[in-house]
Amino acid sequence: MKGFNISKYSKPFILVAFVLILTALRPTTFPTVGNIANVLWSVSVIGIMVCGTIFVFLVGGIDLSIATLCGFSAVVVVEVIHFFGDTTLGVLAGVIAAICVGAMAGCVHGFIITTFNIPAFLVTFASQSVFLGLSMVITNNKIVSCTAPAAFTAIGAMKVFGFPLPIYFMLVIAIASWYVLRKTEFGRYIYAVGGNATASEISGINVKKSTILCYVFSGITTAIGGIVLASMTQQAAAATGSGYTNDVITAGVIGGVSLLGGVGTVPGAIFGAVLMGLLNNGLNLMSVPSTHAGLVKGLVIIIAVGFDAMQHRDQSRKRAGFRLFKKKAA
Amino acid sequence: MKKRILAIMLTAAMAVGLFGCAGGQTTTREDANAGAAQPAAASTSNKVKVDPYNGEPVKIAYVAHDLGTPNNQGWKEGIERECASWGNIKVDSYSGESSAETQVQIMTDVINQKYNAIILQCSDGTALAPSVKQAEEAGIPVITLNLDADTVHSALVMAVDYDAGRMAAEKMAEEIGEAGEIAIIQGVPGLKRTDQLEQGFRDTIANYSGIEIVDAQSASFEKDTAITVMNSFLQSHPDLKGVFAINDAMAEGAALAAESAGKKGQLSIWGADGEKDALAMIESGDMSGTIYTNSWDEGSTAAKIALLMIGSEYSYNVLTETPKVIMEPIVVTKDNVASIPEEDRW
Repeated sequence: MKGFNISKYSKPFILVAFVLILTALRPTTFPTVGNIANVLWSVSVIGIMVCGTIFVFLVGGIDLSIATLCGFSAVVVVEVIHFFGDTTLGVLAGVIAAICVGAMAGCVHGFIITTFNIPAFLVTFASQSVFLGLSMVITNNKIVSCTAPAAFTAIGAMKVFGFPLPIYFMLVIAIASWYVLRKTEFGRYIYAVGGNATASEISGINVKKSTILCYVFSGITTAIGGIVLASMTQQAAAATGSGYTNDVITAGVIGGVSLLGGVGTVPGAIFGAVLMGLLNNGLNLMSVPSTHAGLVKGLVIIIAVGFDAMQHRDQSRKRAGFRLFKKKAA
Repeated sequence: MKKRILAIMLTAAMAVGLFGCAGGQTTTREDANAGAAQPAAASTSNKVKVDPYNGEPVKIAYVAHDLGTPNNQGWKEGIERECASWGNIKVDSYSGESSAETQVQIMTDVINQKYNAIILQCSDGTALAPSVKQAEEAGIPVITLNLDADTVHSALVMAVDYDAGRMAAEKMAEEIGEAGEIAIIQGVPGLKRTDQLEQGFRDTIANYSGIEIVDAQSASFEKDTAITVMNSFLQSHPDLKGVFAINDAMAEGAALAAESAGKKGQLSIWGADGEKDALAMIESGDMSGTIYTNSWDEGSTAAKIALLMIGSEYSYNVLTETPKVIMEPIVVTKDNVASIPEEDRW
């Protein structure tokens, strides 16, 4: 019907451009299966987490407890495995326990936020301290290593068809999350609640229930991220996952998710995560010293996101007939 | 016209605001100076000698860089063990959470609470120098651990830094037959200890014409980041022979990445510190070696000096430079790792 519209494909376009540039710069090392696997492997934890946290962003909330909840679930899985004497059964129990902890944490977040009408920022800001404290008490603020059952170390590192398992987890969770948001009634409710909570309430959506569920999803994916991270590093500590709150929120925002709610897609968020991963990988492959890496990283993100935003602005301007700049020029 | 009036009013408002701010700042600064000067004048003359071995209550503060790291936990336990034998000596530990600003705040609190001695690991020697000076002037001896303060104080207890890099370089060169490509995994740039470690390594490697340092990247001391960095090293330098990581956590990450790439035990991977997990990886052949320092011993040495200073009449002002105690480094490889007993693995 309509002609090819680049704005709709600007994100894949940026990724392809990135891949081409890096291929041109490092033709022998970048475009190898091994390297692509490494890039995806390094973003898998962020990718997994952002697929759940996007639900929270979409209802206009925020989750600042990602990093410490990730650490806490890592501690839980490792401690449960040790409790079961480093057996495969222990791994199963540990994974289930950690996911339950994540779901419960999300449930409590959602319940407090919706029932007492406290800003998500405050609730999750406070709870991040609680999770950190719990991890510290359980581990006595020490690193707990866990190298024993092969079933555990496989979660983070075992390769299937040349790609480590976490990449598959990320894919499955991304598809599930995309399906819920795009293809189900619940998904449409979430966008509606994020767009206008009062209007949604009036039109019969159970805003409270939807919001709580969003936090539960966020908690679950954060816990899975923690499990994968613990397995990858074969250890857990209160500090496991520190810095991930920023990374996850950044991945989402780069991918076009609005922190005000109602706007954003799962492919977009994954795009954000992969873009950051490609960027880090490119900087490493080109041996950019760490003193310069931050500068280059920041500039490239601004250029990429700016390009993306420009495409969308053009589109909305055309649609609305917005002519501010033309008028000024004349 | 309206706009212009508005602009003038806004400018005026801003100017008033600026002067107001400036005025406010000056007064607070004066207050702060007055506050800092008083205890100094009052206390230089009365550094109270307390005999810690005679039942008098004594309390020591340990201000760590980040209590979550094995090193800091090792020192904490060493200090506690040393003092545990005496019921009158109390040790309180505070975590600076990797922030010099937090440490400065903690130092102020600790000085106000009149601890008898402070054991401090300076996240930033320059930023902490005024706090250290203030404590010493208040008659509280300060013993720094590994990371020095840029001011004269009671003592510095440290593990070797430059020499640790030198030893790792020599051992790695021997292991790879003095030829081939190697890479460095760096920590956070700007920390004196780790910069010295890297310098020692680089200077020594420069003596071997056959060895080339082909890459150096930061993994911020983190194990998971080190996995990613090592993966990219293995991609861009397929002939890589060895990797030196500035701390053990990153060396462990590098070893995990090498294992996942099917190169377990084929690379010379060296770390520094000697934490328990690294020693286990040396035993299993994942890592080649590390420069081990007994953190428990280091902590208890700092505690011993603190007790000595508490019980002596001397204070920092008789010193022209900070006295140092340097811990014995042990080069650990698969051959001698068994000689480090379980009770010395922190």
